[in-house]
Order: sequence, then structure tokens, then C-alpha cells
Amino acid sequence: MPEHPSEAAIRDWCIQYLTRTLDLPGKTIDTEMTFARMGLDSANSVFLIVELEDWLGLELTPDLLFEYPTIGELARQLAARTSL
Amino acid sequence: MKTAISEQPSADAAGGRAYSSFIDVLRRRAVEHAADPAYIFLPDRAGEPVSLTFAELYGRAQSVAARLSRGGHKGDRAALLFPPGLDFIVAFFGCLLAGVIAVPMMIPRRAGARDASAAILADCRPRFAMTRRDLIAASRPDLAERFRDAALDWVFTDECDAASPQALRPPSADDIAFLQYTSGSTSAPKGVVVSHRNLIANSEMIRMALGNTRRSTHVSWVPLYHDMGLILNALQALYAGAPCVLLAPVGFMQRPLAWLRTIDKYRAEVAGGPNFAFELCVARHRPEEIKDIDLSCWKVAVNGAEPVRAGTIERFVTTFAPYGFDAKTFHPAYGMAEATLLISANSRGAGASTRRVSRAALHRNRIGDPLQPEDGQVLVGCGRALQGERLAIVDPETLLPLGPGSIGEIWVAGPHVACGYWCNPEATEAVFGAGFASGGARDWLRTGDLGFVADDRELYITGRIKDLIIIRGINHYPQDIEETVQDCHPALRRHGGAAFGVPDRSGEEQLIVVQEVVRTFRGEADAGEIVASIREAIAREHDITVREIVLIRTGSLPKTTSGKIQRRLTRHHFLAGTLSRI
Repeated sequence: MPEHPSEAAIRDWCIQYLTRTLDLPGKTIDTEMTFARMGLDSANSVFLIVELEDWLGLELTPDLLFEYPTIGELARQLAARTSL
Repeated sequence: MKTAISEQPSADAAGGRAYSSFIDVLRRRAVEHAADPAYIFLPDRAGEPVSLTFAELYGRAQSVAARLSRGGHKGDRAALLFPPGLDFIVAFFGCLLAGVIAVPMMIPRRAGARDASAAILADCRPRFAMTRRDLIAASRPDLAERFRDAALDWVFTDECDAASPQALRPPSADDIAFLQYTSGSTSAPKGVVVSHRNLIANSEMIRMALGNTRRSTHVSWVPLYHDMGLILNALQALYAGAPCVLLAPVGFMQRPLAWLRTIDKYRAEVAGGPNFAFELCVARHRPEEIKDIDLSCWKVAVNGAEPVRAGTIERFVTTFAPYGFDAKTFHPAYGMAEATLLISANSRGAGASTRRVSRAALHRNRIGDPLQPEDGQVLVGCGRALQGERLAIVDPETLLPLGPGSIGEIWVAGPHVACGYWCNPEATEAVFGAGFASGGARDWLRTGDLGFVADDRELYITGRIKDLIIIRGINHYPQDIEETVQDCHPALRRHGGAAFGVPDRSGEEQLIVVQEVVRTFRGEADAGEIVASIREAIAREHDITVREIVLIRTGSLPKTTSGKIQRRLTRHHFLAGTLSRI
């Protein structure tokens, strides 16, 4: 795990994770598309948060995906938190 | 009737004593084990545990019953809308004491418009809605507004504190205890009518099959509005006189290992859930988080509410055996709300039986040995028929019973088979009043599931006749999903889609949507837009992530000559890759 993952690193990680779990090989995920638009249900939202917690070593809540509803906004927010 | 499997009727209730109602069970616990813990709720993360002894539960339920009796009559319905915690249990027993019919419901999600709650309220017309004051006041003020038209009398369990409860006439065995709305589509939900007699009968069957005693502490995270969470976990513990430790469902999804840590901490014997729960524990296994736990206390790990997978059992055992988990603890089971809950299970400690069969033969509803290794599929047995139950495998076309080893529809009869669907005589007659074409009693429940009984009397489930999609233990009806799809984009044709479930590589059921697009629609660019709209709508309305969306040409969806959508044929074409994709 990098010490303080950059915004870009978090973005890439989210794209990779969602491409894999949503089974969207070969299709690009737009970082400005909302998680709702990707069809993320509550279980998959929780799993995304849990994986991010693991990777970043932060305690997060699933509500985060409502407050920061795109990969772009989420990555910006998380990068700010990890660099604290 | 030599081909149907019959069991001896059960002699007597727990410990040789018969109960006249579930209130009788509660009362005896409150008298005989007054100060013993009945329920303990562990809030997520740092919250303090809350608990109720049997006597405290009885006392609080009496206060609730007094409030209900003042505001209504015996036979009125009460919608139970509770966040995770012990208030649901208090409300449930309050209803039973007052003779008010409890209707457990999932709290509708904030964003979701198309959920069953409005239709459930319209179907059972409850006088009361029960919840906690803080839910309505703080976290979900939208609920009171959402249900305004139903003119509900709101009862807040945290404000029911009558000092001198009224004397209430105890319920009788034939009184309705609750309605379980797990069947029927969102627009036409069906409430299974469960009487005290049904509940006592199935509770006793469960107790015998699982070998539960007062020492059988339960740990459960399954929601209480789900029949498995309510009957197999919460009510079974009280029936056996054992404590039940409850965890919040969302906490489990986030931290499944907390479930295992709690099992160890409380030295629990019984803890179960749908198959995905065990899979999730394996996926989230982090040795450092559970390094000191000892799971040797765990005797019954019921796996039910969705298909039980051999791979999951294998992975779970391999992962958790080092923590003292015994493979014989796995307890695959089969059941449904129409039979109160449990239909088949083995006795405690028997472990899971598996059978390797030909996948190709299975697709033709035949049982055979695999022709080559790739043709092999492992089925997990769901145990045997329960004490006091009749179980038959019946040809769904001829309605004649079939012998061992033949695949047919599973039919069940016995005192646990519910009274029918609430105010729905047609559906009740079709599902609960079946009889063999060759004659005999017309008291069989048609499960809509396909299976066979092996020579050793083990029941194997092989498929479904009914159109139903089960995702993470929750039933979804294809009609509802198809409607959502066709509402979400103008290019999608009405009555031109099919939704169905297909197992993924790990065997977990995934949602597939096949949908016709209008002729005037052209273009790759818009296809991405349509697919995204469908994904978004299904997640919003049904809380499911679609695995794959296939857009097809107008008029190419398989239908019968009378225009009925052929979902199973569509599924077959999807798997064979023979749909006319655009």
C-alpha cells in the first residue's frame, strides 16, 4: 500500500475494482458517471467501501457514496483524507 | 401412496409439552426463566449492547398489547417497520398478545419508488403502523408522509409503558399470528397467513431437526422481516428457551467476521444465513482480525433461503477449520414462507450430503451420472422431510406422484403448511389446495420448486417452475423488473423483455435482462445510454446490480402463440448465445 495514495491512484483503483465487480470488461468507466448510473446496489456499495477501507486504512461509511456520487469526487475526497 | 415420503406425526411439543399458542411459549419462558437473557442486540461498531430478559420482554410486550387493545380490535393488522434492534421483537409479541396480526415489513428505501410497501398496505389494510419514535422523528420523517393515505395509527414501542397491562384473552391455536409477505410481485404481493398452530408446528419441527435446547444460543444478522431471520433464528431461540444475539444486517455486510467473533464470544451453537453469507465470510477472511477465535462451539450452520452451493461449503470449511469449525456443522436446509418456514433439513451433526450428476441430463430434468468430467455438477442435499410432514415429488403436468430418483415438483403437507394467502382465494386454491390426479387429500402445498428424493431420502433441489429470481436470499419477481426496464427509456418496448437469474462462475445467482428495442432505434452510441438507464433504474427500484443486459431486435423475444413471455426459453437462448442481439 502506498503511504498516501494520490487522487489519480484512487481513481484508477476504483475504475479497476468496479470494472471487475460489475463485470464490464473492455468498457471504460467514466469517472464522472454516478455510482447510481453504474447500477451499484447497496450490497456492492458496501463492498466497495469495505475494500477502500482495507486499502487506505481508513474507517468509512457507505453514505460516502451518496455524498460523493462519482469516482472523481470520491477520489478527491479520499485523497484529501489520506493526506491528513 | 407408496411413492410419497411420509414421516410419523410428531408426538408432542418441546420436552413432551404442547403449547396452545406462541404466547403460551413466551409466558412459560417468562415464568420459568424470568431473569435469563432472551434477546441481546449488538449495535454496529462501538454501540453498547441492549438486552431483554424473558420477563422484561413479556412485560414490554404487555405494554404494547395494552396500547393496541385501546386503539383497535382483535384481528386488526399492524405493519411492523423497525430499524435493527429489539423493538421489532417487542412489537411482534405485543401484537400476538393483543390478537393483532403482525405484518413484518422492510422499511422502504428512501430513493426507491417501486417497492412492495404501498401494495402490502393496500392488500392487508392495517390499522396500525409500529416503529420507534426516533425513526420517524429523526432518520426517516418521510415514512409518515409516504403512508399518509393509508390512515395509519402510529404506535411507537419506545413510548408504550402502561404500568398496569390489561387482562387479555390468550390467543388460540387457530388465531392468525402474522402475515409473511415474501411472495407475489411488487404490484400484487401475497401475504402468507401463518396461524399460531402453524408457527408452533414448524418451531417444533425446526427444534427437532436442529437439535436445539436451552443451551443453543443463536447469533443472527438476518433481518427480522425476513422469514429466516424471524422464524429460524429469533423465534426458534425463544421456542427452545435459548438466548438470541442479534446483529445489524448492514453491519454484517460490512464486517462479516464480526458475526464469527460474536459466535465465539457468546459460545453460540446456532447461526445461519443464506449461502452468500458464508461466501462473504470467506471473501473477507483476514487472519489478523480473528486470530484468537474458537468456533468449536458452533454446532448448526443453517444454509438456506437461496440455493446451497457445494463450492461455498468447501471454501468455508477450508478457511475456518483452523478456527475449530467442524464440517459437520453445515446444515443445508430448504423451506419457504408458505410452509411457515422449514420444509427439509437433516438432524444435527449429519453434515451436508452431495451428489455428482450430469449437467446435461439435469437440463432435461433427468438425473444421471456425468458423461465426462466437464458434464459433472455437484448438488447439495437439503436434508430429509421433517417429522410430521408429508413430502412428495409430483409430475407438474400429470399431477401424479413420482418415485425416488425422478425430478418433479416438490409438494408438502402438514400442520406447518400455512392457511393460505391473505384475502386471495384464487391464489390460495392454486397453491395450497393441490391433490394428486389419482385422488386423495387436496391439502398439498405446491412449492413451485423442482427436485428429487434420493434413495437415502435426501431431498435435492434442481430448479424452479415458478418465475423467481433469488439474489442474496431475497426473492424478486421478473415481471417487476421487466416493468422497471420498460419504464426507464422510450426506446424499450412494453411486454418486450425478460428478466431471469443465471448462476455466475462461483454459482451465485445473477440478474440478466433481455430487452427488445423499438425498430426506429439505431446506433451504438444510444445503446450505451440505454444500458446505463436500465442499470440505474434496476439498482434504484430493486436494489440489484444487473450482471448483463442484452438488447435484442423487435419481435425476437421468445413468446408463446398467445403472447406470453417465455422466460425460460429466453434464458436458454441467452446461455446458448442464440439471441438476436443488436
